[in-house]
Amino acid sequence: MDAVQGLATDASMTPSAARAGYPDLLKRGVVVAALIVIGLFAPTVIRNTYYLGLMGDAVVLGIAAVSIGFLAHQCGLMMFGAAAFTGGATYLYAIALTRFGWNVMAAAAFTLLASTLLSALIGALIVRARPLPFAMLTLALAQMLRSVVMITDFRPVTGGDDGLALSFAGAFFGLPQAQLSRPDGFWPVAWLALCGVMLLAWAVGRSRAGRVLRAIRANEERMRFSGFNTYAPRVLAFSLAGFIAAVSGLLTGLHTAFASPELLDFTTGGNALVSTLVGGVGMVSGPVLGALLFVIAQDQFGANGNLELLTGLGVVLVIVAFPEGAMGFIRNSVARFGGRGAQAQRGGDHAAR
Amino acid sequence: MDFSQIFNIAQLANALALASLLTILASGLALIFGLRDVMNFAHGALFMIGAYLGYTISGMFNFWAALAIVPALLALLGVAFEYALVRPLRRRSPMDVALVTYGLALILSQVVIKIWGTAPLSVAEPPSLSGSINLFGQPYPAYRIFLIGVGFGACAALAAWLKYTRSGMHVRAVSQSPMVARIMGVNTDRLGLLVVCMGTGFAGFAGVLAGPYLSVDPALGASILINCLIVVVIGGLGSVGGTIAAAVVYGLIQVLGSMLSPTLAVMAPYLLLFFVLLWRPQGFGRGRVA
Repeated sequence: MDAVQGLATDASMTPSAARAGYPDLLKRGVVVAALIVIGLFAPTVIRNTYYLGLMGDAVVLGIAAVSIGFLAHQCGLMMFGAAAFTGGATYLYAIALTRFGWNVMAAAAFTLLASTLLSALIGALIVRARPLPFAMLTLALAQMLRSVVMITDFRPVTGGDDGLALSFAGAFFGLPQAQLSRPDGFWPVAWLALCGVMLLAWAVGRSRAGRVLRAIRANEERMRFSGFNTYAPRVLAFSLAGFIAAVSGLLTGLHTAFASPELLDFTTGGNALVSTLVGGVGMVSGPVLGALLFVIAQDQFGANGNLELLTGLGVVLVIVAFPEGAMGFIRNSVARFGGRGAQAQRGGDHAAR
Repeated sequence: MDFSQIFNIAQLANALALASLLTILASGLALIFGLRDVMNFAHGALFMIGAYLGYTISGMFNFWAALAIVPALLALLGVAFEYALVRPLRRRSPMDVALVTYGLALILSQVVIKIWGTAPLSVAEPPSLSGSINLFGQPYPAYRIFLIGVGFGACAALAAWLKYTRSGMHVRAVSQSPMVARIMGVNTDRLGLLVVCMGTGFAGFAGVLAGPYLSVDPALGASILINCLIVVVIGGLGSVGGTIAAAVVYGLIQVLGSMLSPTLAVMAPYLLLFFVLLWRPQGFGRGRVA
């Protein structure tokens, strides 16, 4: 009900809002562009390669989390087996590189294209499922891929439990492999990919398609009665989530130059899922913040040897204490104490919600 | 491939042994889901704790004592689970709660490693069941026969409770439609507590039973959890009858697959899930479509 009304008011509001919003939008665009450029110089600020490496990991995890958060927020569907899409993309890239013998650009393009097409195909089959069976289906998909790469018959293609070590001679957008495997060489690629993915998710969430998706999430039957196609938008959203996850998988392949069966583990998808929920799905930036917190926490917890115990405790405490995730908590606090500035902030974020 | 190889009695019995364990675990999972809407990712860890406690208590007393004490201990854990997690989080989305139980599973498995270490432990079967029985001309371990009998016996008892008693009827009613059941005067909280305790108790029971059959190690929980989840979803969420049927089908497909083609056997459970959910989204049983 809410959603449909929201749709109607949104639609009627759009012209006037747009007229009033142009200078505002321009201002925000400049701020975003500035942030993107500033982010590129992170390696000059963070001199320590170890911490820069952590940031790179956080970005890769963050992109996967953006994918989960996008689908969760726009469709109400939780991908438990995101590892199928991230790890699957890494494997596609590895296979294109080592078995087809393609150069790195072709392999990367193939990875993104093939992953998106495959996600569209899988999405066409499973987006009709209710949220919980959907979660289980994606989990099963990840487990199936995990088993498939381990099968001895496929060993010549997938490398079995040894995984696939990658090496390429050419350059990825002018960056040779030696550069990409270093944290400071990898950073610009990862950062730009993250910004691109976040802008994409934000723009789609803001568009008419995003409004239709959220209305379907609220009440699918009502939308169908109102004459909307409720199937195609969800397949589209799923394909987009698959594409975003593939970007994360591709970055893993480029950076680590290795595809291992662990990438398809339940825990790999679990890490991204935990990041998403810790950050909160309400905003595009939530999952990224969650991923950053997750990577920092992993680093701290790993130092005293109780990684899994403390991760478990952290997951339980954060999810119990912050129902809307860290980003939702921050936004609510700002809204409560920030006054007018927070109002503007809320207006801006509303579209991404 | 000759006929006798496909219908190998020992293989079939193995499938049933695995299926009986899965049935006990999955029916506990299905009960908890039906009453509480909680997809319990900690169920595998509870199973593992049951196996470790079974190891310790069999060492202190004997196997039969463990079989009686461990489910009771885990039922107590279930009380804590209900009061500390399920009730405070009932207004949260099922996904949040599922993730909390996932965190709980991480914690529990680390606690187990802290107490018992990571080395695999083996539990001796009770002396009366240590021999083998002649099964249609082939010797077969007596303990596995016992496992099959007890596993399916427990599930039959559960099914009978659900079908023929008043509280069982209430459980089915709440699984189908919590709101209507509450309006009709069913105390869903009391029932929920009972069912969560039964679910965790069943996990402990399965853990003790698994001790002599599988080796007891920290990976025990994670490896069986996914299979259990698949069985519960195939069976129909919240439907115990469907879950039992799904566990048996799952075990049979697993074993038939391993005899016909190992490649297929690896993928069979997942393909089964895909086909069942695409063909019949509510699963085998008459559960709710969640």
